[in-house]
Amino acid sequence: MPAVLTVDPRSGVPIYLQIIEQIKRSVALGVLQPGEQLPTVKQLAIDLTVNPNTVARAYRELEREQVIETSPGRGSFVRANGVAEAPKVAAEIGGDALDVALRETKSVGLERHEVRELFELALQRWYGAELSE
Amino acid sequence: MNDITISHLRKVYGTTVAVDDVSLEIPSASVFGVLGPNGAGKTTTFKCLLGLARPTSGTILFGGKPLEPATFERIAYVPERSVLYDWMTVAEHVEMTRRAFTSFDHKRAHELLGMFHIDPRRRVRVLSKGMKTAVMVALAFARNAEILVLDEPTGGLDPINQRHVLSLMINEAAKGNSVVFSSHQIGQVERAAEQIAVIDCGRLVLEGLVDDLKGDRKIVEGIFPDTTFTLDGIANDARVARSDRTERILRLMVTAGANDIAAKLTAAGAMGVRVLDLNLEDIFLYAVSPATATTDIVAKGTTS
Repeated sequence: MPAVLTVDPRSGVPIYLQIIEQIKRSVALGVLQPGEQLPTVKQLAIDLTVNPNTVARAYRELEREQVIETSPGRGSFVRANGVAEAPKVAAEIGGDALDVALRETKSVGLERHEVRELFELALQRWYGAELSE
Repeated sequence: MNDITISHLRKVYGTTVAVDDVSLEIPSASVFGVLGPNGAGKTTTFKCLLGLARPTSGTILFGGKPLEPATFERIAYVPERSVLYDWMTVAEHVEMTRRAFTSFDHKRAHELLGMFHIDPRRRVRVLSKGMKTAVMVALAFARNAEILVLDEPTGGLDPINQRHVLSLMINEAAKGNSVVFSSHQIGQVERAAEQIAVIDCGRLVLEGLVDDLKGDRKIVEGIFPDTTFTLDGIANDARVARSDRTERILRLMVTAGANDIAAKLTAAGAMGVRVLDLNLEDIFLYAVSPATATTDIVAKGTTS
């Protein structure tokens, strides 16, 4: 696996969640291909200098969410049905980011229609103007 | 089995209670971090663990059995202060350790000294504090011990060598061994330890998985339209460990259910409700000095 993982232990976000997030992102972006082998728990723990059980916990959660699969004695792999999996993971990452943004807009007291306007503006900035027939 | 069970440990020196009713389960195949202010009782706990101090009361079991002569071969210890002899060379210490412990790996000791850039021909007298720490770490990790008790194992080391020590600890945990260490550098504990215990004034004030403590403990903050808001059902919620109220701003330190409590604040009319993450330093400061920690917690908290 390419060296795409880093953790920030000083963050308030639990390390196992940081590992989960980054592996999901790598799957969504195709950096990790379906069927690709992940480092062993021990290897990743040593690479990141974090506790092996912390890595094992991230792997267990990724298995439960069916992003990776582990076969005893062979190791952990990105699930082979990744063609269907990558867009799902991407949607999940996007959804989480929107959740954070909307919690903020709600907390500063913006109304629904104001948020919609802001969202349209941001959408145009990042996705370009929508072509209407 | 290399797990360690400390039950109701108490150690009294004269009239001073150094350790008071500390119980801990230290699992094998893991790194366990012990945090606490100076003089909190960390070193005394370690000494009791190693049989260097006799507990006033309480028990310590290794894999279910009390400390016995054969256990010493399985435990390696890095003390907080140097126990090396000034007049001896580093190589002589390696040789002395080899004679004392049958499972000592002489070659490995020299490899580790090389990693720390320590010339074994040098006398201890000329070594810096950090180099002495590195020598003791090299001797301990060459022991092939199943239990490593490390009291400030990065004291005086530069960041590169500190990282080497953390990597050695992780490697031991990955092999199934038990690693217990103390450090004042919370960032190291935060990175390498799976579980922590915070000891303050001889008492255990907090323990748990670092990731769970971070996942559960949050600051929930809200701003109310005026100063007359009431907090029925929030202030006396068992999950609220502390509440601070400054005019219209309410700030809660919660031990669980941050999102639920945030929703309650919103329902009570609060605006700008935010949930802030806490890192281990914030959590530690809160555990050892709840009265003064809040400003630190708020200043360092990041928006989640």
